[in-house]
Amino acid sequence: MLDLRSLAVGYRNTRGVVLSDIDLSAAAGDFVCILGRNGSGKSTLMRTIAGLQASLGGTASLDGEDIASMRPATRARRIGVVLTERAFNPSLNVEDVIALARQPFTGWQGGLADKDRAAIADAIEVTGVEPFLRRFFSDLSDGERQRVMIARALAQTPRLLVLDEITAFLDLPSRVEIMALLRAQARDQGQIVLLSSHDLDLSLQLSDGVWLLDGSGGFSVGTPDALSRSGAVGRAFDTDAIRFSPSDGRFEIRTSRSA
Amino acid sequence: MSARVNTSGAILLTALAALSLLTLTYGQIALPLADTVGALTGSQSTDLARQIVLDIRLPRVAAAIIAGGALGMAGVLMQALFRNPVADAWSLGLLAGGQLGVALTVTAAAFAGPAAVSILTFFEGPSITLAAATGVAIAAVVMLALGRRVGAITLLVIGLMLGFTSQGLTSVLLHFAARAGGRIYGGWTDASFAGVAPEVLPWLGLPILVGTCAAVATAKPLSSLLLGETYARSLGVKVTSLRHAVLAAAVLLVAPVVAFCGPVNFVGLIAPHFARALAGTARILPLLPLAALGGALLALAGDAIIHAPWEQHFLHLNAILAIVGAPAVILILIFSPAVRQWR
Repeated sequence: MLDLRSLAVGYRNTRGVVLSDIDLSAAAGDFVCILGRNGSGKSTLMRTIAGLQASLGGTASLDGEDIASMRPATRARRIGVVLTERAFNPSLNVEDVIALARQPFTGWQGGLADKDRAAIADAIEVTGVEPFLRRFFSDLSDGERQRVMIARALAQTPRLLVLDEITAFLDLPSRVEIMALLRAQARDQGQIVLLSSHDLDLSLQLSDGVWLLDGSGGFSVGTPDALSRSGAVGRAFDTDAIRFSPSDGRFEIRTSRSA
Repeated sequence: MSARVNTSGAILLTALAALSLLTLTYGQIALPLADTVGALTGSQSTDLARQIVLDIRLPRVAAAIIAGGALGMAGVLMQALFRNPVADAWSLGLLAGGQLGVALTVTAAAFAGPAAVSILTFFEGPSITLAAATGVAIAAVVMLALGRRVGAITLLVIGLMLGFTSQGLTSVLLHFAARAGGRIYGGWTDASFAGVAPEVLPWLGLPILVGTCAAVATAKPLSSLLLGETYARSLGVKVTSLRHAVLAAAVLLVAPVVAFCGPVNFVGLIAPHFARALAGTARILPLLPLAALGGALLALAGDAIIHAPWEQHFLHLNAILAIVGAPAVILILIFSPAVRQWR
């Protein structure tokens, strides 16, 4: 269970508070999509929940334990992240990248036990990265890299998975595949999966719940259906050029501006 | 440790032992292998052979192995810390910084008067190591701060330029120090393992031993830093204290080398690449022994070449290392995927 109580996120500099008074929760097995346009605060919120950035107020807790005050090693066992920042390094091969996920569970040498190997093997199988295990990470395509980073996060066997804008570089079939995979992961393993995206159509179709950021500090929460019908999606995404049609569940180009 | 790492390690160790033995047999006077082994084991041998092998050649060979190993491990640490495939103590100016530290200390002592010089000479081991460590540490902190602002290649160029600056200053300082009468380390601008006397060997070896322990202790978290700072933090690593620990380990490994052997170039840059190719992984822990053995082998090979029974001895260690090292770096710059992406 992930609980956000009057959480305020943002920066202690001129950018200031990005979002405040966030009261939200997600239960084990939920696949939640966080939607919003660029700059609406998705990444800031994700990083704060993952414990990678200090909050400006309120709490985020996982299964009753405050995430910010967890010991780093404990947090690393419970929360796995995939971020937009590109990780690469010379001669780091795919197997190394995935195996690094087990570091929070291993001794000082980082040697893998049977349990660690099993978690790695599962993650490899679920994400289908087997064919490029022996290749160098820096030689992979964007899509392959993203899959490897997801495999790495899954191998960490976290209770909460935080994935920030991971589908941005991918083509449509890969995006569908990855989102379906994450949804299945949430269902089967009882993990909480938080995925931020500006990929509206897919998120509305596949998620259990949507946290919608409107770009001016406000947010709405609900099932995909409810949010489309209430017009919240339109308020967050509509521009002069396009509008969201609740009846079709997709965007359309405004043909006339007279109305 | 995988079988691949163990096999590579065993092969390198055998090669290093064989090369050491070979290096001990030749010089001004050639000794038969049996006499050399006899001198080492203390069994049958002449006093002359024992003196040549144990007092003259063995300290040099030991210095080459220890220094080469330390530079190789420091290279592994620095390439991971800077996330830069061409980082090492020499290329980023740490060795030159250490030289400058020693030169400043010697000059200060020279101007302070004969008493200061004699104190410095008496405590030669610790004082020179400390002076070098200060210089190396300052250079490392400066480069680490710069490394967060500029790309890998820019950092390399800045490191080399800072190195030239430090070496120029060192030369000027020693010029004045010599004039002031404190000519302790006059001709010390080239790298050599021959100047390491048996009594300073502990001052070379002890800090390196401590540095090795620190390197091994930081190996696991440093491996996760290969994914970048944020991912490392998400794996529970305290990045700032890790940086400090790795930096301290690198300083401990590098400072004694620059203090007693001078600016040994290229060894620390190449050995990690060699180790990664052998190990088939970039994880730090398996790389440390392989890079240490590879670095030791390279340094000793360079030393063996310049001390071969030539008619004249004009060969310099850094010249030999550069002939092997510089082309290797050019290949890395052209073919390393990481360098291509950082451009």
